[in-house]
Amino acid sequence: MANKKWASPFIIWIIAGTVIPILSIIYYGFTTRDGGFTFRNITAIFEHDHIQALGLSLGLAIASTLVCLILAIPMAMILKGSKFGKEGFMIFVFILPMWMNFLLRTMAWQVLLERAGVINSILGIFGLPPQELMNTPGAIILGMVYDFLPFMILPIYNTVSKIDDHLIEAAYDLGANKFTVYMRVILPLTVPGIVSGITMVFIPALTTFVISNMLGGGKVNLIGNIIEQEFTVNSNWYLGSGLSLVMMIFIIASMLLLNKFDKTGGQSLI
Amino acid sequence: MKKTISVIYIAIIMLFLYLPIMALVVLSFNDAKSMAVFTGFSLRWYQELFQSRMLMYAVVNTFSIAIISSLIATIIGTLAVLGLSSMKKKNQDLILAANNIPMLNADIVTGISLMLCFIILHIPLGYCTILFAHITFSIPYVVLSVRPRLNRTTDRLFEAALDLGASRGYAFRKVVLPELKPGIVSGFLLAFTMSVDDFIITYFNRGAGINTISTVIYSQVKVGIRPSLFALSTIIFVIAFVALVVVNRNSDRKGVAFNL
Amino acid sequence: MAELIRLENISKSYGDNKVLDELELTVEENEFVTLLGPSGCGKTTTLRIIGGFEMPDEGRVYFDGKDITDLPPNMRPLNTVFQNYALFPHMSVSENIAFGLKVSGKSDQYIKDKIKYALKLVNLKGFEDRRINQLSGGQQQRIAMARAIVNEPRVLLLDEPLGALDLKLRQEMQYELVRLKKELGITFIFVTHDQEEALTMSDKVVVMNNGYIQQEGTPEQIYNEPENAFVADFIGDSNIIPGKMIADKLVEVKGVQFPCIDGTDNGFKPGQRVDVVIRPEDVEIRPYGEGLFNGTITSKLFIGVHYEMLVKMEEGKFEWLLQNYDEHEVGSKIGMYVRPENIQIMHKPQNDYEKRMSLEL
Repeated sequence: MANKKWASPFIIWIIAGTVIPILSIIYYGFTTRDGGFTFRNITAIFEHDHIQALGLSLGLAIASTLVCLILAIPMAMILKGSKFGKEGFMIFVFILPMWMNFLLRTMAWQVLLERAGVINSILGIFGLPPQELMNTPGAIILGMVYDFLPFMILPIYNTVSKIDDHLIEAAYDLGANKFTVYMRVILPLTVPGIVSGITMVFIPALTTFVISNMLGGGKVNLIGNIIEQEFTVNSNWYLGSGLSLVMMIFIIASMLLLNKFDKTGGQSLI
Repeated sequence: MKKTISVIYIAIIMLFLYLPIMALVVLSFNDAKSMAVFTGFSLRWYQELFQSRMLMYAVVNTFSIAIISSLIATIIGTLAVLGLSSMKKKNQDLILAANNIPMLNADIVTGISLMLCFIILHIPLGYCTILFAHITFSIPYVVLSVRPRLNRTTDRLFEAALDLGASRGYAFRKVVLPELKPGIVSGFLLAFTMSVDDFIITYFNRGAGINTISTVIYSQVKVGIRPSLFALSTIIFVIAFVALVVVNRNSDRKGVAFNL
Repeated sequence: MAELIRLENISKSYGDNKVLDELELTVEENEFVTLLGPSGCGKTTTLRIIGGFEMPDEGRVYFDGKDITDLPPNMRPLNTVFQNYALFPHMSVSENIAFGLKVSGKSDQYIKDKIKYALKLVNLKGFEDRRINQLSGGQQQRIAMARAIVNEPRVLLLDEPLGALDLKLRQEMQYELVRLKKELGITFIFVTHDQEEALTMSDKVVVMNNGYIQQEGTPEQIYNEPENAFVADFIGDSNIIPGKMIADKLVEVKGVQFPCIDGTDNGFKPGQRVDVVIRPEDVEIRPYGEGLFNGTITSKLFIGVHYEMLVKMEEGKFEWLLQNYDEHEVGSKIGMYVRPENIQIMHKPQNDYEKRMSLEL
C-alpha cells in the first residue's frame, strides 16, 4: 500500500535523535577531561556517596511503585465493573491531573506539606503543632505516587477492560468463587498491564531529581540529583555521563527481568 | 456493601488526586502571599501573571513547542507506520525495537545524551534543540498509536477501493487515512501531552535563554514560590478540563480517546 | 422421565426491549432439548438465565424441584459450553480442563485420570500440554466440551457451540454430541439458529420467536405439523398459502380444491379462512392435466440431493417451490398432486397476541 521509503524520515530521526546521542554519552562516559580513555566514570558508582544515593533511589522507587500498584489494581477492577457512562467519566477524572504540568502537581504538594503550608495551617486550627512533613523520604514517596499514579492505573485498566467477560463467566460456571476467579483468571491476564504500569512508574521514579529537589529541600540526595549536579554544579560531564550510563544499564537489566513476566511482548504499553 | 466500599475507595483516591490542585486554585485567589492563611479574595496574582514577561514567554514557548513538535512527530510517525508495513518482518521488528528505546530510557539519560550530542556537533542550545528533542521522544508514541490501526482490514479496504477503480492516491486518501485517523489523533494528543509536561529533557537542552512553564517553575523553587504560579496552575487546570470535555464529546461513547 | 428443570413465568427486558415475556418451559431428565429460533428471539437469554448469568425480572427457575433462581452460577449443578469457547488463554489444555475439579478440591490423581478420560472422550488423546492458541477451532470446541463435562454436571448448557465451524466439521460434531450425550447419560440444553442442526440432534425442539415459545415438540412434529406460519416458515422450506375450508376435510386454495385430513374434528369449520402448508418435497409431478393443478417451471437449481424448482401456477397467482429427484426442463408444463395427509392446515392468527406470535403473511 505504501512505499517503504516513507519510513526514511523516521529512520533518520532514530539515528540522529537516539543512536548518535547514545554514542555521545558513551563517549563522554569513558573519557576524561584531558581526552584519555577511562573506566573511572563508570566505577565511580561504587563510591560511598553514590552507592548511598543509588540505594536510596532504589528504595524509594520500589516503595512508590508498590504503593501505586496497590492503589491502582483495585481502582482498575472497580472501573471495569462500573457502567459505561460512569466509566467514561472515571477515566476523565484520572487523565485530568496528567494533563496538568508535572511540576505544577509536585509544587502543589510542596504547598501542602511546607512548614508554612496548608496542612500545617489546618493542623494549627485544631491546635496541633506543625509537622516537619517536607524533606523526608515519606514526602518524596508521596510526591512520586501522586505524580505517577495515573500512569499505573491506565495501562492496568486498559488490559483489564479487554478481558473477555465470557472467561469470567466460564470460571464461575466451573464452580469458582470470586476470590479464585480473580486470582486464577483475572490477575494472570492483567499481568501485561501491570508490567507496563511498573515500567512507567519505576523508571521515572528511580531517576528523578525534580521531586527530591522540590520536596526534599536539597537534603535528600537521589542518584538523579547526583547526576544533575555533576552537570550543573560541578561541570564534570564525564562523571555525569558515566553515572548515567550505569543507570541506563541498570534500567535495561530491570526491564529484561520484568519482561520475563510478560509473555505478550510488551505491546500493552498503549 | 461492596458498592459502598467501592464508592468510598474511589472518593478517597479522587480526593488524593485533586486536593493539592484545589489548594492551588484556592490560594491563587488569596490576597496574601501566605500559603497558610486566606486573608481575602483577590485577583492580584492573575494580574502579576499576565504582567510577567518571563511567564508569558514561557507559556507561549511551551505551547508553541508542543504544537509544532506534535505535528511534526505525527507526520513522521504516521509515514513511518505506513512505510514500515511494506518492509520485511525482520526489518520491521528491528526498527520497532529501536523505536521503543526513547520510551524506555529515563528522561535524564535522553536529555543528557541529546545535550552532549548537540555540544559535540557545535549546535547552539535553544528553541530548535528543544524542538528537536521533543520530536524525538514524541515519535515513538505516535508510532504506537497509529500502528494498531493498520491491520489486515485496512489492507482489504484499500484493495476494495482499487477494485472499484480508484487510483492509489485516491484510495489512500479516502479509505486508508480515515481508518488511521483515530490513531493519528490519539498519537497527536499523546505527543502534545508529553511535550507540555516535559521537564527534564527540556531542562538539559534549552540553553540559557529559553524557558518553558516547567523550567520557570523549577527555577522558582529555590527562590520561593510566587503565587502567580498558582494563578497559572488554575488557568492550566481550567484549560485542561475544557480540552478534555471537548475531546470526550468528540470521541466514541466508549471513550476510545482514553486508550492513551 | 422426571422433570428436571422448570422455568415459570420468566420475563426479562433490556431497557425498552422485552426479550422474554412470561416464558414457561420444562426440561426432562436425559432429554436433548434444543432452543431454536432467529437472532434476538430470546433463546440465548433463556439459556443464560438457566445457567445463572442473567437474573430474570420476573419468574422463578426450578431445578429438581428446588428454586435456584437466586443461586449464582458457581453453585448450580450445571455447566456451560460457551459460544466462543471461553478457554483460558493463559492456561494449557489440561489446566483448563482441571479448573473446575481443582476448585472443588479433588485430588491430583483423580484430576489426572479425569483429564485423560475427558480427552479420550472427545478424541483428543495426548493434548494435555498444548497451549490454547495452538488449537484449531474444532479442537478448541472439543476442549471446551471436555472442560465442562469433566465436572459431571447433571445438565450441560450449550450456546451455539458449533457456529464457528465449517460445514463438514459441524456435521461431525453433531454426531459427536449425540454420542457423548448417550455415553454420559446427562441432559443437554442446546441453543442454535440452524434448524437442520436442531432437527438432527434433538429429542425435543422448542421453537422461539420474539421471546415466545412458538411450538414445542419432537423434530418430526415440528417439521410435519407446524402449528403456525412462523414455525412452518422457519423449519425447512414450505409453500404457505392462504385458503378456505370448503367442507369437512376439503380446502380450497387459489381456486383449486384439495382433499385433506383436517376438518371439523380438529376445529376447522367449513367457510373458515385458514393457512395451508405444503412441503416442497410433497408436491408430486404428474403429466400436464393429470394432477390437481397445473403450472410452468420457471427456474431450476441442482442442490446435489435433489432439484429445486419454482413453478408458476396456472389456476391462481402463486409460485410453488418443488423438490424432486428427477430433472425437468425449465419452461415445461406439468401437473401437480399432493396427497391429503401431506397438507397441513393452520389457524390464521386470530388476535393481536397470535399475530405477534407469527409471521405476517
